[in-house]
Amino acid sequence: MAGPSSAPTPGPGQAPAEVPARRAARRFAEVACPPEVRADRRADRVLGEFGLMLGCLPPAARKALAAALVLLDQGARLYPPSRGRRFARLDDRVADAYVRALLARRGAAGAMVRRLKGFITMCYYELPEVQREIGYDPAPYIAAVSRRRLESYGPQIRAGEAAVFIPGTGPADGENP
Amino acid sequence: MISGLTTQGDVAGDLSLECGAVIVGSGAGGATMAAELAEAGVDVIVLEEGGYHPTESFAAGTGRALRTLYRDGGGGLAFGRPWVLYTEGRCVGGSTVVNGGMSWRTPARVLDRWAEQEGLRAIREQDLDPYFTAIESRLSVGLQDPETIGRDSGLFKAGAEARGWNVIPNRRNQLHCAGTNNCSSGCPTGAKRSMLVTSVPRALSLGARVFADCRVDRVTRAGPGVTGVTGHVVRPGGRRGPRLTVRARTVIVAGGAVQTPALLMRSGLRSASGRLGRSLSLHPNAVVTAFFDEDVAGWQGVHQAFQVREFLSEGLLLTATNLTPPMLAAVLPAYGRELGELMARYNHIVTAGPLVSDTGTGLIRNVPGLGPQVFYQLTDRDAAQVVRGVELTAQALLAAGARRVLLPFDGAPGVRGPDELRRLLARPVPKRSLQLFSIHLMGTARMSEDPGRGVVGSFGEFHGVPGLFVSDASVFPGPVGINPMETVIALAMRNAQRLIERRGRLAG
Repeated sequence: MAGPSSAPTPGPGQAPAEVPARRAARRFAEVACPPEVRADRRADRVLGEFGLMLGCLPPAARKALAAALVLLDQGARLYPPSRGRRFARLDDRVADAYVRALLARRGAAGAMVRRLKGFITMCYYELPEVQREIGYDPAPYIAAVSRRRLESYGPQIRAGEAAVFIPGTGPADGENP
Repeated sequence: MISGLTTQGDVAGDLSLECGAVIVGSGAGGATMAAELAEAGVDVIVLEEGGYHPTESFAAGTGRALRTLYRDGGGGLAFGRPWVLYTEGRCVGGSTVVNGGMSWRTPARVLDRWAEQEGLRAIREQDLDPYFTAIESRLSVGLQDPETIGRDSGLFKAGAEARGWNVIPNRRNQLHCAGTNNCSSGCPTGAKRSMLVTSVPRALSLGARVFADCRVDRVTRAGPGVTGVTGHVVRPGGRRGPRLTVRARTVIVAGGAVQTPALLMRSGLRSASGRLGRSLSLHPNAVVTAFFDEDVAGWQGVHQAFQVREFLSEGLLLTATNLTPPMLAAVLPAYGRELGELMARYNHIVTAGPLVSDTGTGLIRNVPGLGPQVFYQLTDRDAAQVVRGVELTAQALLAAGARRVLLPFDGAPGVRGPDELRRLLARPVPKRSLQLFSIHLMGTARMSEDPGRGVVGSFGEFHGVPGLFVSDASVFPGPVGINPMETVIALAMRNAQRLIERRGRLAG
């Protein structure tokens, strides 16, 4: 019989997928995320989140993102200011200019880099301390309003929940009881 | 321990089962069917590809939610010009676990159009009213308690009303919603009356069996009818587990507008109309980001409190919906230091946008090695509607006092007032620059009484394949123009009743 939950996709405590082109991914995180990503091993944790997200993508999407990272890395050699260096080895100024140029591109290449940027920055803003720094701390708020709900409407809530199991009936007439 | 619910951890070897009706998917259409049929005494098995995640497991955390409650981490892509990001729920309860809980009856004009254009029976307003009433009762559909409405919703409402527009409070399936603003990550109180906490437990209590972590690979057939389904158990990390065979003379597919046609097509089914997997509508959405001087803290308060209905006859619905920091960072047109500066003002941001009733030009294809892929071509008319919806949304936000507004067009500069907005939009906005997403996919197994125009008939039965039914938004003959959940549930209830009336077929 069922336990408390099931997790067919990677969840807490499960190993993340290996991040492809790891050095390029790390460099991309340093450029795409705010400068504070370099503090307190945040970049490593962003890559950890990134690996977890990759783990729940279908194989084809994982391969596409891996290919995008390799292209991002090696494509820098064709970017004149890079002087033939790959993205992972560019200094901050050139790396920033390269990413800016890619993000401004139209077509599939630009769309893919924008998607990669969305992915990486999403992982950065998933870090709890980053959320607290911008004033987002939902857990205490959720706890408080959940308590208020039960205090204000406890009997009606219990009646509504129980009604789910009564054949052919439910709470009265389309409004909260 | 929940009686009747099985997850992958409970399954050691191959499964071979038999029942009266097997239902593929446990979202709005599948769970409703399951509860209705079980109540009538039918032996029902529900197969859900996603996991079982109870209310107690839900907390704030976008990454966790995307990984456990959504298909492919919420990162579906409809390819075309532009790409459209879409999401589908994949868990027990389906998309109802992660939607905003908006519960609206199908507009009468939409039902009339469907009836007239497709010759559909028993689908006018008066036909569906009893089902809507029952749904709204069972799912506690009603207005928000006032203390749960956040400042972001209030500002958007004020801006729209300052423009003289019709704004209405949202009706939601909620039992005294606390306003945690965690709808898209799973309601942590169970106040949102998703299928996870209503029709699924109701079906279980009435004897249905629900198997989570079970992916259906094929619908099986013998002669013109169906004989059941085959599939496999999904192990952690998506690994393939033991095989699964379910024998049933009635198969109800309720996997959503992408997975349903994909399953039917890989089962070798074709529709005479050629419309299976075609005619995809997806209600394109776009996000306008507005910065205010005041502290808004949009994450404190219900997910979506109001809708601007002023432009509904044009196919436009406007609303304010808070995005979590990870989601907002992903869509903001900035990176590096600039992104950090914008996000530092997170509590001063209101996000809002239009939902466009589109013309249905997408299709689903099973691509070897890649699985179901979505292709969608935004028409010029729909692109113009998106731009108009963005303009109207920005006007409302500026009227509410926004200091700066970012538009969802690649490379567009921020605008600081109505004049700048007008000047910017006086130039054509390239279709490919639109940043779009979708949470309402529909129409890929459309209803029509004419087998030459549709895939299923008036009551969801696949033309020419007795015993095979579709019960999700795939059956819509066109975009519904509003949040589709209640329409899906009403059709499922109605179609279940029809099945029960003809229940000889349902004997196990």
